[in-house]
Amino acid sequence: MFKLLKNLIKEPMFVIGSVLFLTTIFAGLLGPFFYTAAPEGMSYETPSSQYWLGTDNLGQDYVALLLKGLQNSLYVGFMAGIIATTVGTLIGLFGGFKGGIVDDILNMFTNLFIVIPSFVVLVLVSASWPEGRSLTLIAVLIGLTTWPWTARSVRAQAASLRGRDHISLARINGATNLEIIFKHILPYLASYVFMVFIMQVASGILSESAISMIGLGPIGEGSTSLGVILNTAKNNSAITYGYWWGIFPAAIVITVIVFALYLLNNSMEGVFNPRLRK
Amino acid sequence: MLKKYPTVRYVLQRAIWYFLTFLVALSLNFFLPRLGSDPVDIMMAQSSFSSPEIRKQTEENLRKDFGLIVVDKQGNIQRDEKGNAIKASKISQLVNYIGQVFKGDLGTSFKNQKKVSEIIVQALPWTLALQLPTILFGWIFGNGLGALAAYRRGVFDKVIFPLALLMSSIPFFVFGMVLVYFFGIVWEIFPAVGAYSLELTPGFSLDFIISVAYHYILPFFSIFLILAGGQAIGMRSMGIYELGTDYIKYAKWLGLKESRVLVYLFRNAMLPQLTGLALSIGQMVGGALITEMIFSYPGLGMAMLTAIQTNDYPVIQGVTLLITTSVLLANFTVDILIALLDPRVKQSLSMDAK
Amino acid sequence: MKFSKLTACGAFALFFAFLVSCEEKEAKTAEAKTSGYPRSETLYLAGSQWGEPNTFNPLVEPWLVAWPANDRFNLMYEPLTAYNSLTGSTEPILGTLVSYDAEKVVVDIQHEAKWSDGMPVTSKDVKFIYELGKRFPQAPTSYVGEFVSEIKVDTINDGVERLSFMVNKKERDNPLVILDQLQAIRIVPSHVFEKYLEENNGDFSAVKKIKCDERPIVSGPYTLAQYNNERIVLVRRDDYWGNKVLHDGALPVPKYIIHPIFKNNDAFAINLQKGDLDASMNYIPRVNEKKKDAVNTWYDAPPYFVPGSMHFLFLNNTKAPLNDKKFRRAMAAAIDYDAISRLALSNYAPKMKPGLIMPEGLEKKFYNEEEVSKHSVPLGDKEYAKKLLAEAGYKAGFDDKGNLKYSLGPKGDTLPTLLIKAPAGWSDWEAIVNLVVKHLRSVGIDVREGFVDGSQYWPALPAGEFDIIMRKPPVAVTASLPWNRFNAVMSARNWVAVGEGSMNENEGRYKNKRADELLDKIPLLLENEEALKSAYIELNNIFLDDQPVIPVCHLPEEYYQFSEKRWTGWPTDKNPFAPPQLPWVGSGINTLWRLKQVK
Repeated sequence: MFKLLKNLIKEPMFVIGSVLFLTTIFAGLLGPFFYTAAPEGMSYETPSSQYWLGTDNLGQDYVALLLKGLQNSLYVGFMAGIIATTVGTLIGLFGGFKGGIVDDILNMFTNLFIVIPSFVVLVLVSASWPEGRSLTLIAVLIGLTTWPWTARSVRAQAASLRGRDHISLARINGATNLEIIFKHILPYLASYVFMVFIMQVASGILSESAISMIGLGPIGEGSTSLGVILNTAKNNSAITYGYWWGIFPAAIVITVIVFALYLLNNSMEGVFNPRLRK
Repeated sequence: MLKKYPTVRYVLQRAIWYFLTFLVALSLNFFLPRLGSDPVDIMMAQSSFSSPEIRKQTEENLRKDFGLIVVDKQGNIQRDEKGNAIKASKISQLVNYIGQVFKGDLGTSFKNQKKVSEIIVQALPWTLALQLPTILFGWIFGNGLGALAAYRRGVFDKVIFPLALLMSSIPFFVFGMVLVYFFGIVWEIFPAVGAYSLELTPGFSLDFIISVAYHYILPFFSIFLILAGGQAIGMRSMGIYELGTDYIKYAKWLGLKESRVLVYLFRNAMLPQLTGLALSIGQMVGGALITEMIFSYPGLGMAMLTAIQTNDYPVIQGVTLLITTSVLLANFTVDILIALLDPRVKQSLSMDAK
Repeated sequence: MKFSKLTACGAFALFFAFLVSCEEKEAKTAEAKTSGYPRSETLYLAGSQWGEPNTFNPLVEPWLVAWPANDRFNLMYEPLTAYNSLTGSTEPILGTLVSYDAEKVVVDIQHEAKWSDGMPVTSKDVKFIYELGKRFPQAPTSYVGEFVSEIKVDTINDGVERLSFMVNKKERDNPLVILDQLQAIRIVPSHVFEKYLEENNGDFSAVKKIKCDERPIVSGPYTLAQYNNERIVLVRRDDYWGNKVLHDGALPVPKYIIHPIFKNNDAFAINLQKGDLDASMNYIPRVNEKKKDAVNTWYDAPPYFVPGSMHFLFLNNTKAPLNDKKFRRAMAAAIDYDAISRLALSNYAPKMKPGLIMPEGLEKKFYNEEEVSKHSVPLGDKEYAKKLLAEAGYKAGFDDKGNLKYSLGPKGDTLPTLLIKAPAGWSDWEAIVNLVVKHLRSVGIDVREGFVDGSQYWPALPAGEFDIIMRKPPVAVTASLPWNRFNAVMSARNWVAVGEGSMNENEGRYKNKRADELLDKIPLLLENEEALKSAYIELNNIFLDDQPVIPVCHLPEEYYQFSEKRWTGWPTDKNPFAPPQLPWVGSGINTLWRLKQVK
C-alpha cells in the first residue's frame, strides 16, 4: 500500500490532480464561511476591486455565488457518486462472480437502465417531481440513473477475474466462494472501484450541470449550483450581452474539478495497472 | 439442439434477452411521463372559459380524444353515478399503447394533434445530421489519436494525453456557449443560432446547402472536440494495455512483422471502444437536448423538451421509444460483433457449451 | 482509411435524406417561393409562435392555432374594429362603431369589404361566427351568447348593413365585453365554412380537423404563403380591399412578413442585434444596451415601454395567515418595488403606485391620488409592515445575522412556510420571487421560493392549489380596462372552494359582496362618466383595504422593441401615429403602411 502511494506521489498527473482537487474541495467547503459577499449591487456589474468577478442579474457578488455553487455541486457529485458506486459495485460484483441465471437477471436489469438513457430518465423525473427539487433529490436521481455503468464495468472485471489462473488455483485448493471474493477478488477490485467512484463523482457533477442547464436542476433557497449559475446566466442572455463573467468562471470551475478528478483517475490507473506506466 | 452451434445459440439467447428488455423499457417509457401533471389539466389552465359547463365539456372532449377516459363502442363517454366521466386505468392505457406500438402506431400529439411519427420524421434528420457525423468523426479522430499516443508514447503522448483529458472535462454545452460567445457574438464569424438562414426556403438549392453548412460548424465543433478527447483517452489506455498482453509479447517473440502485431493490437483494443460507440447513441439524444437548446437547433432534443413542458405523453413516449430501440439494436449488434470477432469471447462461448 | 470513406458516404446519404425531408414539410401554396425571400422586402416579426405551427383553422381552440390565425392578430382574418390603446378610440376595420349604450352596440359593415375570393363581407359572416356557439357548444366563440342575446340586421342607405348587438340582459348584462369582442372576434368567411360543414354532414369536429393552410380565404392585407417548424411566411395581398378604403390606396410596404419560430429567448436578442429580426414582443433584458445595434423602444429612457398590465402575487385568501387582511396588507407594504424594477425587470416597470388602476394613460381619469393614499399602505416601507404585523399579534425572531429564525401567529402558533409558486425558468419572474422572498423574510414573514415546472404551475392555478403564486391574468389592453382587471382579481361570480372545482379568475378565492355588485354595475355606466368614476374609486378602495392580491409591477402588455437596421418609420413616443405594438394586432397594424426600407 505504501509502495503504491509512493509510486502515486512520483506521478506528476497525480500531484497536479490532487492539488487542483484539494483546492476546489477547500474552496467549496470553507469558502462560503470565510468569504463575505460584497453588498448587493446593480445587475451585471463588471468585475472590479469590489466585485472581483462582477455581479449576477440580481446584483449578487459572483465570488460568493461561485463558492456556494461549488459547495453544492461537490455535494451532488459526491452523493451521486457514493450511491452509484455502491449500487453498481454490489450488483456488478454479485452478478459477475456468480454468473449463470443470477448474472443474467442482474445483467438484464443493468442493461435495462443502460438502454433507457439515464439523462432522459433524469429529465422526465425531474420535470414531474411534484414539490420543488432539492439538491439531495437531484443527487439521488443522478446516482440511481448512473449506476449501471459501474455495474457493467465491475461485472466485467469480476467475470474476468473469475477465469484467472490464481482464482482457479484457489478453487482447486478448496477455497470457498466467500474466501475467493474477499481474498482474491475484492483486493483486486478495491482500487478499481475507487477509480470508478472518482469517475462517478465527475459524471455526477457534469450531470447536475447538464440537468440544471435545461432548467430542471435544484430549485429553492441556497441550492445554487454551478449548473444553476450557468443556467441563470444563459436565461438572462449573458452570452448575447457579452457578460463573460456570468459564464466563464463557472465554466472554468466545473472544468477544473472534472479535470482534477480525471487526472486522479488516470494516474491511479497508471499505478494500479503497471503496464500503463513507463 | 443448438449445442453444436454455440454462436447461433448465443445470438438467439441475446435476442430473447433484448426483446424482454424492450418490453420492460416500453412500460417504463409509458409510466415515466405519467409521474407528472395531467396534460389536460395543463391545457385547461392555460385557456379561459366563460362558464364551468363549457369548461367541463371541453375537458371531457379532450380526454376522450386522448383516450384518457372510458368510451363504449359507439364512442359515448361512460359515466359514474355522479355523472363524471370514468377515467381509463393506467393498465388499460398501457395495454392499448403496447398494442399500438406493435402495429407501428406511435399515437398523436396531445398538444398539436399531429402524428408522433410525423413529428419524429421532421426532427430526426436534424439530430442525425448533427450527431452522427460528429460522433463518427469524433470517434475515428479520437481513436486514431489515442492509438498513436499509445504506440508512440514519448513527448507526443505527454502533450496529447493531458490535452485530451482537459478537453473531455469540459461539459460540451459549456464549450458550445464559449464557441457562441467568441465566434458568434464577439468576432461574428459564424452564425450563433439556428440551422439555416431564415430568408431561405429549405430545399435543393445551393444557397440553402451553403447556409446549412455554415450554421453547422459551431454545433459540430462543440461536440466533436470533446468527444474526440474522451475517445482518445479510452483508446490510449486500451492500446497500452493490449501492448503489454501476453499474446502481443508472444507475437513479438515469434518475430512477427510489426504491422501484423499492430493489426492484432488494434483489433482487440478497438472492440471495447466499439461498445462505447454503440452506447453513446443513447447519450446522443440526451446531449442533443442541450446542444440543440444552446444553438436553437431543430431536432429530437427540442421536440422532446417542448413535449416535456406540456407533458405531451405520446411525443415523449415516441421519442424515448426511438432512443431506446436504437440503443438496444446498437448493443445487440455490438454483442454479436464481439462474439464473432473477439477470439477470447468465442472461446469462452464454446467452453460454456461443453 | 477505408472506414472513413464509408463514413463519408454514409454522411452524404444522410444529408441527402435530410434535405428531402426538409423540403417535404413545406406547405405548398401558390405564392410560395422555392428559393428564398429577399431581405429588403421582408419584415421579420417574432414572439407569438413558439412551437410548431399546427393548424390555421380559426374555428379551432385558440391555443392550438398557429399565428396569425389565432388570438387577436388581424393580418389574415380581421375583426370588426381595432382598439387603439394609445388614444382609447375604436378604429374601423371590417366595420365602423356607430354607437353603444347599456342596451346595444351598433356597428356598420364596410360596404367595400371583400374576401380574397371576391365575395363581399356581409352580416351573414358576422352572424356565422357570433352564433356558432348556438349550433356547436364546443365552438371557440360559444361564450358570446352570454353577452349578446341577438344580432339585429338593418339595411341603411346604399345597402350598408347595420348590426345591432343586443346586450343579453338576462345573463351577463355587460356591453363593455361586447365592445371588447368587436376586436377580439375575427370574422371568418361563412360561405367557406358552411361548405365545409355541409361536406362533413354538419360534423363540427371533422371541420376542425381541416388545416386551412392552402390558399385560405381571408379578408386581411396578408395571407399565408408557406410554413414549417422554423418559420411562418405571409405574403402581401395586393388586392386587399382596405388599401383603398382605409389607407388612401397605398399598399402595406413589406411584401412578405416572416415569423421565425425561435427555440430560446437568447435567439431574439441575438437576431435583433444582428438585424435579422425587425421587431419582437417578448421580454429581452436590458434593452437599452442594444441601442448601439439600432435596437430601439417606445421611450428612449426608462421605463422604455408603455405599461399596460399588472403582474401579481395571488394569495390564497382561504388559508391562514393569508386569510388575515392585516397580514396581506403588511406583505404589500414590505416589498421593495423599486428594487424589483431595478434588479429583476431592467427598469421596465415605472415607480409602483398602489391599487388596481394605473395612474397613467387611459386609466388616469379613474385614478384618485387622495383616495388611494387614504386607503393604501405605504409601499416599500418595512418599518410600517413590521408595525402592522406587531399590531395584529404576529411575532418573529431573527438570528444575529438578521436571518429569520421563526415566525409566530397571533395565538403563538408557528406559522407555516408559505411557498411562492412560479414557473421555473421564467427568469424575470424567478428574479421577482427571489427579491420578494428576501423582502418579506426581512420583516418576519416566512416565505420561500417554490419554483415548479410549467406542467405543475398551470394546473395549480385554477385549482387554487397554492399559498402564493405569481400570476399575470390574461387581461388584454382593451376598451374594458380597468374593469376586466378588477374582474380577474376580485370577481366571486364563479366562486368554488379549493378542491371543489376550478376558477379562471380570482384564483385566490377572495369574496366580497359589494365588490361583486360594483363589478356588475360598472359595465352599465358607460355613458355616465361621473358615476363610473366614483364606482371605480369605491372598488379600488375595497381592493386597497382588503389587499386580496399584491400587484408587484406595471409592465407593458406586450413588449415592443424594433431594429432600425432594415426598416425605419416605427411608431415611438415622439412619433405616436400608432400604439406601441407590433404591426399585427389592433391599430398597431397601421405601421405596415408607414415603414420605410433602409437602402
